[in-house]
Amino acid sequence: MPGWFEGYELEGWFDEAVTADGGLRDHYRSVADALDELDLEALARAERRRDAAFRTQGITFTVYGDDDGTPAAGGIERTFPMDLIPRVIPADEWSFLESGLVQRVTALNRFLDDLYVGGMQIVKDGVVPRWLLISSDGFTPEAFGVPVPLGARCLVAGIDVVRDEHGSYRVLEDNLRCPSGISYVVENRAALTRVLPQLFASERVQPVDQYGSMLLHALQRVGPPAAGDSPTVVVLTPGIHNSAYFEHVFLASQMGVELVEGRDLVVEDHVVHMRTTQGLRRVDVIYRRIDDDYLDPVVFRPDSALGVPGLMAAARAGNVTIANAVGNGVADDKAVYAYVPEMIRYYLGEEPILGNVPTYLLWDPEQRELVLDRLDQLVVKPVAEAGGYGLVIGPHATDAELAEVRQQIQDDPRNYIAQELVALSRHPCLVEDHLEGRHVDFRPFVLSGQQVEVVPGGLTRVALRRGSLVVNSSQGGGSKDTWVLAPDPAVEQDLDAESEPTVVVTSGVRTPGLDADGPDPAEVADAVLGSTS
Amino acid sequence: MRFDVRYRTVFAYDAPVSESQNELRACPTTNDHQRLLDYRVTVQPNARVFSSIDAWGTRVDAFGIRRPHETMTVVAEAAVETRPNPMPAAVLRTESLRREDFVDAHIEYLQRDRHTDPGEHVTRVAREQVALVGPDVVGAVLSIHRYVGSSLRYVPGVTDVGVSVDDVFAGGEGVCQDYAHLAVAMCRSVGIPARYVSGYLFTDHDAVGAPAEADSVVVQTHAWFEAAIPGWGWLGLDPTNGQAAGEYHVKIGHGRSYDDVQPLRGVYLGPGASIVSPEVEIRRVQPADLWRGASQVPSAPVGSVPADLPLGVRRHGGGHPSGSSIRQQQLQQQQSGPSGSGR
Repeated sequence: MPGWFEGYELEGWFDEAVTADGGLRDHYRSVADALDELDLEALARAERRRDAAFRTQGITFTVYGDDDGTPAAGGIERTFPMDLIPRVIPADEWSFLESGLVQRVTALNRFLDDLYVGGMQIVKDGVVPRWLLISSDGFTPEAFGVPVPLGARCLVAGIDVVRDEHGSYRVLEDNLRCPSGISYVVENRAALTRVLPQLFASERVQPVDQYGSMLLHALQRVGPPAAGDSPTVVVLTPGIHNSAYFEHVFLASQMGVELVEGRDLVVEDHVVHMRTTQGLRRVDVIYRRIDDDYLDPVVFRPDSALGVPGLMAAARAGNVTIANAVGNGVADDKAVYAYVPEMIRYYLGEEPILGNVPTYLLWDPEQRELVLDRLDQLVVKPVAEAGGYGLVIGPHATDAELAEVRQQIQDDPRNYIAQELVALSRHPCLVEDHLEGRHVDFRPFVLSGQQVEVVPGGLTRVALRRGSLVVNSSQGGGSKDTWVLAPDPAVEQDLDAESEPTVVVTSGVRTPGLDADGPDPAEVADAVLGSTS
Repeated sequence: MRFDVRYRTVFAYDAPVSESQNELRACPTTNDHQRLLDYRVTVQPNARVFSSIDAWGTRVDAFGIRRPHETMTVVAEAAVETRPNPMPAAVLRTESLRREDFVDAHIEYLQRDRHTDPGEHVTRVAREQVALVGPDVVGAVLSIHRYVGSSLRYVPGVTDVGVSVDDVFAGGEGVCQDYAHLAVAMCRSVGIPARYVSGYLFTDHDAVGAPAEADSVVVQTHAWFEAAIPGWGWLGLDPTNGQAAGEYHVKIGHGRSYDDVQPLRGVYLGPGASIVSPEVEIRRVQPADLWRGASQVPSAPVGSVPADLPLGVRRHGGGHPSGSSIRQQQLQQQQSGPSGSGR
């Protein structure tokens, strides 16, 4: 039997499974042992069964024509390839991550509630400038005064987390509007359990298939007061042509609730109902996967064919809860993101557990000067875009591109931020007949209902293609089943609350910073690009 | 001045409409210069009205009708008391416009939207006007106000709600909302925060120029603008009528542009087209006061918002919206997900 980790190359990167001196990290030992019982043929067979399973289930995504994610005509349906080697997060590391995510989303909920129904105390107290919030594309005056029970505005948050060259977790981006990907988390687990059950034999992996009930529970907790203990929940989808339609179907079925389109809902006397074969039935909570702009043609785009006329008035009247709340986009703004650590201090009186990627705000003359001097080393992002759109990677850009972005920054500094490059960590992946390191990021899902909780798992995205460091699924990216290990009852857990916030507390041996022989910064840049979609 | 205002809009559909959902912004606001005494909304066919205050401080009355109907009548009746608005006396230098706290407090009225995006030409003209008066904020605002009034001719029906400021300026014709948007865009282009105001205006002529009878005129809704004067407040000016907004102006509310204070917006479901006829009747309650004092009853053309149209109209059947556009909209939804489809 082969030793799968023999000859595995780190190439100077921080690796999730292997320490800097080449030793296997403890929490990967049982996976490695189980793998070593399998030969190449067994793994190839597992891959074929995996592909068949995904195809049969119709778990696909749409590849668009352009790298920037613009929908092009005739998108191609593909499966989202799952690498067979799972990512393993040990219990103490997870406990650290979890507390950081709960803290962050708690503060973001408080912030959004303060902004839309709380009189903007954070502005009055001088923590975040008013102009920054008001001038954000995501700022939504129509959301003013619309109540959200429990202030659970980010009912589902997808927080993109990366790990840098020291193994420190950092938040790259908050997705607070309609974060998607949870269906892959659950389906990856189901598939891996089916095709390689032996990997799970000696580990206590926390389950993720309870996501549907967690989500339903959270949604039921935010029902309007009049709805009582068991509010009626629906999933509102744009329809079958949406790239995430599979996930909408999946979530409705996991929760055992109706999947509806806008035309299935009607508003009567400011109460939302769905059409059923038995007539109208009251709807209390709408988990919507439609953008704000399309929700209600009376208030937003008048040409929206996907929304429900009168929905916003019903929400304002407190007769229905829209989740995620309207107007969350303001906190997705990358310039507002830079203030999240301050929000945590302001609302919670705590130090942030998870740090941001170092970010420069370009309207500030000092920071702008600093950035313009180092433009060829930094990443510049437009504040309102996700998916890597409009991103300029300094080390990767031509002189002409740098000159252009320099001009753009000078013309409209509010519209851009600059960030330090993050050397994304790598993870072993099965490539043909051996393991090779590939860059990964991580999207855990955080739910807000009665309390804020994190699904013990998440979507690890991986740049599967050799030579390419882009994790976008549309560009040869894939995913990994992500294991969160249950705490070992025999070992006393001791997570020191005073420990340094952005440094991983656990077993990982910290690698030294990248030296001159380290990876090409341009390649790092690609990984950053890819990680943002 | 005491006024009774009666706003009335009738929608006549050429075939029964199965559903209609609407938002009305017709209620006079209360501020330093006016006080709302009474307000009532009536909808036919009967509908439950839900009232709230929006982000701009304007009262919104939302209502829906979900049974077949061929006409819909919306009536809003208000009793309101107004006072003359003072003018700023001191000279305020334009440097004060650039103060960080001033910009911070007025950022929404410095940005552009589809109605207030000045083209190069409008921006240049605004700069020229301001340069003529020197570094005085009030002078600059008045100069823009006068310039807008003299460069547009009041012609109902020549412009649509969606027309750009640049096109209005080039065409030289428009209605009150075009005047207001042009003035707002010019102010913003030189760094003066400005906002669009929707309201009613009492004049001594009604909409077709006939003299008012019995202290009562029939007009349409009106629009003007307000500019922020540092350290003083908002200065209301009505470029359509070449005068400051005074006690004959009854303000409903303000916003970044028309979209924020559109008097009536909504959608209906049905195959038919509609004919809309909004009108406003304003009755002066204390006529004796009218001829006292220095203020003049406006006699210039009554600017009017050309109707509350176009309403966003959604119809089932009739090819609206087409299948391909629905598909396009479904594709466009931001799903910040793993599949690279996020915006």
